[in-house]
Amino acid sequence: MTETFEEMLEELRGIVRRLENGDTSLEESITIYERGALLVKQCEDLLTTAEMKLTELGRDQ
Amino acid sequence: MMFCGPSAGPDRFGTPILGVSEVSGLICDLLDDARLHEIWVRGEVTNYKDHTSGHRYFSLGERNGRSSALINCVMWRSYASGINFTPRDGMDVLAWGTVEVYEPHGRYQLIVREMHPAGLGERHLMVERWKQELDAEGLFAPERRRPLPAFPHRIGVVTSSTGAAMQDILSVISRRYPAEVVLSPTTVQGDGAHMEIAAAIRKIDGLVDVIIVGRGGGSFEDLFPFNHPDVVRAVALCKTPVISAVGHEVDTALCDFAADLRAPTPSAAAERAVPDRVEVLRELSGHRERMGALLLHRLAAAGSEVEDLRARMHPRRLARRVHERMQRLAEHEDLLRRSALARVQRKRSALAEVRADLAGKNPLAILDRGYCIVESGGEIARSAGDLSPGDRVVLRMKDGRCRAVVEDITYDRDV
Repeated sequence: MTETFEEMLEELRGIVRRLENGDTSLEESITIYERGALLVKQCEDLLTTAEMKLTELGRDQ
Repeated sequence: MMFCGPSAGPDRFGTPILGVSEVSGLICDLLDDARLHEIWVRGEVTNYKDHTSGHRYFSLGERNGRSSALINCVMWRSYASGINFTPRDGMDVLAWGTVEVYEPHGRYQLIVREMHPAGLGERHLMVERWKQELDAEGLFAPERRRPLPAFPHRIGVVTSSTGAAMQDILSVISRRYPAEVVLSPTTVQGDGAHMEIAAAIRKIDGLVDVIIVGRGGGSFEDLFPFNHPDVVRAVALCKTPVISAVGHEVDTALCDFAADLRAPTPSAAAERAVPDRVEVLRELSGHRERMGALLLHRLAAAGSEVEDLRARMHPRRLARRVHERMQRLAEHEDLLRRSALARVQRKRSALAEVRADLAGKNPLAILDRGYCIVESGGEIARSAGDLSPGDRVVLRMKDGRCRAVVEDITYDRDV
């Protein structure tokens, strides 16, 4: 994954804002909607499928 | 015995006589000295009384060989409830307070606001001194505090691997958000713990998105390493944002002041470190619904726009517009033709006029009116002088020619 969760969520919020403004063309609206729907799916997958991991650094000195 | 009022005059030797309240007032003034305000006093507790009112009365004493000194002390109920040990006679303590005069009893006493067993008291003083030094270095400046990442991937934890703090942090994070927790283990109490804690902080710095430094509750002694300048500086120098969570709500350690955020407990620190997955999922489904509704709205708007255009392009409507145009074209054509015709007409009548005019100017037309033209030698004779008697001339008349001979010339006047 190249994008962080935060970047994806930020992009998603931007898409909702653009759709709300209504200054995008119909084609553009459909394109960004599809992108938004994909982002929602990816974010949800990340949140629901991932589990907490625990690692421990070695102790020295 | 003589009784003298407060404003009695001087005695017979001129020495002024003072009232008790005046003397007491002078003593008050004398004791109103910064050296006796907010001071730490070390001494041995004697005559300790835990009064039913909640106030504590005792004395602090000191013996040096044969000389001894004693000061009466009072600790009011509100301050007494803050001490975390039970003072007993003979105990070596450090008391913090101000010397004041109690005029009704003619006593001066130390009003104690804080008290610790002497060994511990020294440590409190040490913390106080460190605090001032580190503050002067600017390590506690609020503007140094950075915001925490909203969605951290990795949370570093600097604490004991076996302590309750670690368990609390793990249980909170596993419940809330699927992050990776990286433990940098260290002992958290005892001699030398401060060096280990500082090393554990430096070791994890830069490897994670946020660091929680802390431990569960304990005594002042237990939490002491988290006051140490080594730990405070390690926290302050971290590139990664740090949440400090030492002990319980009431406990504070100096590393709290250097951290980007102070959490009351390790569990609270974990809650501040990660978002709640449930809330984020709720936000996501909110976005999904909103986007769907907005696109639907957009599509509906586009649909009605198309419908509107279709209506405006209807064939019958179009034909009517064509007919309208054709009608107008025909009208124009007619107009054009008529105006062209009128123009031709005008030209024609002008031509007729010109022709009539021209006809009037035909030299032969005068012959119709009875005139004739005299020609001699093929040329028109215009003057009597052009002719001589005996010349043969031709007379051109309206309907033919006559040959004639000039008999005589008479001039009408001299030319």
